[in-house]
Amino acid sequence: MLNRHWKKYGATPGMSGLRELSFFLKTAFGGLVTIEFASVLVPLLALWELAPRQGWVPDTLVPPLSRVAMTMWDMFVNHGLWGHIAISLVRFALGMFFALFTALPIGVLMGWNLFLRKHALPLFQLLAPVPPPAWVPITIIVLGVGLPMQTYLIFLGAFYPILFNTYQGVKETDPRYLASARVFGASEWTLIRSVYIWHALGPIIMGIKIGIALGLVMLIIAEMHGGRSGLGYMLLESKEFFQMDRMVVCMVILGAIGWFLIEVMKYVEAKLALWRVGR
Amino acid sequence: MIEARNITKFFSVVNDDRTADGLTAVLSVSLQIPEGRFISLVGPTGCGKSTFLEILAGLQAPSEGEVWIDGRRVLEPLPSSRKEMEAYRRRYRFLSPIANSLLRDRPKHDIAMIFQDYAVFPWMTAIQNVRFTLKLRGTPRARRDELAKKYLAQVGLAGSETKYPAQLSGGMRQRLAIARALSVEPRIILMDEPFAAVDAQTRERLQEDLQELCTSTRQTVVLVTHDIDEAVYLSDEIIVFSPLPGTIRNLIPVNVPRPRRRGDPELTGIRERVLAIYRHDAEHLCDWSI
Ligand SMILES: Nc1ncnc2c1ncn2[C@@H]1O[C@H](COP(=O)(O)OP(=O)(O)OP(=O)(O)O)[C@@H](O)[C@H]1O
Ligand SMILES: [Mg+2]
Repeated sequence: MLNRHWKKYGATPGMSGLRELSFFLKTAFGGLVTIEFASVLVPLLALWELAPRQGWVPDTLVPPLSRVAMTMWDMFVNHGLWGHIAISLVRFALGMFFALFTALPIGVLMGWNLFLRKHALPLFQLLAPVPPPAWVPITIIVLGVGLPMQTYLIFLGAFYPILFNTYQGVKETDPRYLASARVFGASEWTLIRSVYIWHALGPIIMGIKIGIALGLVMLIIAEMHGGRSGLGYMLLESKEFFQMDRMVVCMVILGAIGWFLIEVMKYVEAKLALWRVGR
Repeated sequence: MIEARNITKFFSVVNDDRTADGLTAVLSVSLQIPEGRFISLVGPTGCGKSTFLEILAGLQAPSEGEVWIDGRRVLEPLPSSRKEMEAYRRRYRFLSPIANSLLRDRPKHDIAMIFQDYAVFPWMTAIQNVRFTLKLRGTPRARRDELAKKYLAQVGLAGSETKYPAQLSGGMRQRLAIARALSVEPRIILMDEPFAAVDAQTRERLQEDLQELCTSTRQTVVLVTHDIDEAVYLSDEIIVFSPLPGTIRNLIPVNVPRPRRRGDPELTGIRERVLAIYRHDAEHLCDWSI
């Protein structure tokens, strides 16, 4: 049983790319394609379709499912929705990249060393409570409207959750493991690479997940405050013309992106934290 | 040669009612362990044996006293006055005294330790655990695999090399810890109840192996154990700790030539002596902690 469990998480070496993909798809969509969930989802979708059609709610406020689907098709085919999604994703990826690139090392260093922690941590603790959207005006004035400003705002949203979770996880590394590595001669660098990071893997991935969620929030806020492209801009534009169906399409796509990224993180965690399965 | 001079260790503890309290775990223990000697530490539970062992290994700084290994001091004692405290803080403000070095893997002394709670890394498979310690000791990459396999087989873990500790039983994890410590072929090996969680047969076999190893390679061994038979059978000298605070209650030499036979009347006699000390302490329980 345990063995099978292990296999499922890909412990066997030399797994082909195709099988990796199917494993990912299975774990990602597995929770969606079940009878149990279908018994909840199908009635909900039916209600969404029926309620406006039957006049239970005004269909100017709640567009029925079929119209949203048609609009989505139309937007993909005729209005270049792909382009907007792509540009949003590029911005998001840039912001996340910078956040990961800075927050992970700083968090690890602060968790590892008391000297660095005492110097750096209070600064972050002072800055972090400022809600990221409060940075929007000053960022626009300093960086102008454009990619740097959007990247910076997304970075800001993702930075603190990743930083604090990494720091906390590394700080709380079990001293027994450190002692046992030290007896055998591990240098501090080896401890960081082979003990701290592995022990803190759970909190780090958790931090990245929260970072993704907050990064998406900041993506929409950034795109609503300027720019002529992206999903946030589309949302705002649809509001100007009172196009409910287009707004819903944007929301559905944003939800799907967030869900997909979280699933990717779950997959990464399952791959890296093989050893935690079965505990 | 391990030399402990007047080792004392205090802990400050916070009581339930939030008052601070002191606890003396080890009180002024002086000990000389010549090269190649097999020493056993026995004593009632919670008397500071593990603490003393960690001080020997340089994982905890003693509150007073010093440990010297081969003429080199292991860790300087903790500061006792405010002025010393400032200097101590300044000296170790970036790296703690127990750290090795920033970038280079190199043990301060040729010590291996088996911890009471094993402390094998759960994110490495059995063989990766052993290979990791070998790597820390600078064993060339090509030899690591072969050595790791050899030592895992020696403790009966052949076939479980690619399992994670979570997949191993408690006793197997303990044997993995033993293999990990033995694989680096240290000159000094500190063991904290290494055979506590293995079955009787395996324990006997591991004890024979250890006996053989020590007679052939002249390793210095400090063994903490609750099993008096084991202590008598294996060691050159048994050190009985008193109840808290841990001090040396008795030194009992075991001058029986090796190889020894289990159930040798001489060994049983020594065992009776140790038990008599235990019994005496239990009857005339004196409260050292005041
Ligand atoms: N970090 C600590 N802080 C406070 N008290 C401690 C600490 N570590 C150990 N102690 C205390 O020191 C005493 C000795 O502990 P130690 O672990 O050395 O006992 P031991 O002799 O190894 O016991 P056992 O045989 O059960 O393993 C105990 O009473 C314990 O409560
Ligand atoms: Mg102990």
